[in-house]
Amino acid sequence: MKNLFRLFFLLAIVTSCVTDGSDSFERFPFDGTGYRPIYKTAEEMAKIEVIGAQPLSKPGKIYVLEPYLFINESGQGIHIVDNSDPKNPKNISFISIIGNYDMAAKGTFLYADNLTNLVVFDISNPKAPKLTKTVPNAIPVNNYPPFDGVYFECVESKNGIVTGWEKVPMSKRPNCSR
Amino acid sequence: MKKFAPFIFFGLVILGLLLILSSCNDGRNDSALNPQTGAGGSMARFAITGNTLYIVSKQSLEVYDIGDGASPVKTVQKDMGVGIETIFPYRDNLYVGAMDGMYIYDNSTPRDPKLLTKYQHVQSCDPVVVQGKYAYVTLRNGVTCRPGNTLSSLDVVDVSNPAQPVMVHTQPMSSPYGLGVSGNKLFVCEGTKGFTVLDITNPAAPLFKHTFEDLPAYDVIVRDKHLIITGEKGLFQYKYDDADNVEFLSKIPVL
Repeated sequence: MKNLFRLFFLLAIVTSCVTDGSDSFERFPFDGTGYRPIYKTAEEMAKIEVIGAQPLSKPGKIYVLEPYLFINESGQGIHIVDNSDPKNPKNISFISIIGNYDMAAKGTFLYADNLTNLVVFDISNPKAPKLTKTVPNAIPVNNYPPFDGVYFECVESKNGIVTGWEKVPMSKRPNCSR
Repeated sequence: MKKFAPFIFFGLVILGLLLILSSCNDGRNDSALNPQTGAGGSMARFAITGNTLYIVSKQSLEVYDIGDGASPVKTVQKDMGVGIETIFPYRDNLYVGAMDGMYIYDNSTPRDPKLLTKYQHVQSCDPVVVQGKYAYVTLRNGVTCRPGNTLSSLDVVDVSNPAQPVMVHTQPMSSPYGLGVSGNKLFVCEGTKGFTVLDITNPAAPLFKHTFEDLPAYDVIVRDKHLIITGEKGLFQYKYDDADNVEFLSKIPVL
């Protein structure tokens, strides 16, 4: 009996989060807008390249491994800066990495996130970092937008990996909500 | 003899430099001998201690052995609640900032951290830094952070017993993002509101000193009285001294 109760409880939780079927119960009023996932394909995601120094545009997190400084460019990649002289830092290269926000480094290796992948670079020559390894599915992601009380298009994994969400007008209430 | 003194001096300097440089190279060839580990800011989801790389995803702690730096090997995954945001290793503990609290892990077995406790607080975004027996946690309200609540704050939590954290102080902040601690200074990035300096001569009761309003700040790294700050205007570096003099070193502007 107790187990049955637990099962019901579990079902209640599961169904409360994701609803399916267009005629399902409207949990809260639909205001004509919803969130749509922005996808990247596996090929787009795997496209990592080292290019020359780039100007900062939307700097995010920072990491120091003396004498180098790593500056994240939100969602775009990593600037490598030679900071031997903090009065005159030199922007030396940029690694273009889709979905990158974080990094850490030790010795001659730099670790970074590439959406759900963990990527490793040999930075013995920081002007020309080399991708040495990709660990797939290292960073689990949520398949829902970071907001409560919203409707959104359900994520279809065959479309790729979700890199973000856009709020758009929708003529019909989407099937997923949270 | 006097004539040769400068040459001898320079010779020694060059010899010294060569020794230093060659020892650096040796260190790079064998990271086990000279583990050259970097440092991140408080907003980081990635952290390295020794031969271990920690990654916090939105819902888990992922642990990798990087003994072979080129090829990380996953040792364990710890499922956590939701809204995990930051990780800060300090001594034998990992401090994980989440939207509804701060998790403290015992890290004495780096490959397999053990959850000690979860310090609960109201819904918010909250990076954490630790120095000595105190953790400094900022709680920021915002659309995805603290819905329906309007207060942001800085909390001081006594973590001398990491299994039983106790809040000892709280004070309002305008919009705290990353923070950094060093000696008797606590630095708080307040987004577009600027960069705030607090005095923590009494570590349990930070005293507001000054906000640099023209310095939008998102994250900060403090090392040896050297500040590295990022924000929407770019990357800024400063040096400061015990007399609170702040010297601008450089900036890499946003273009």
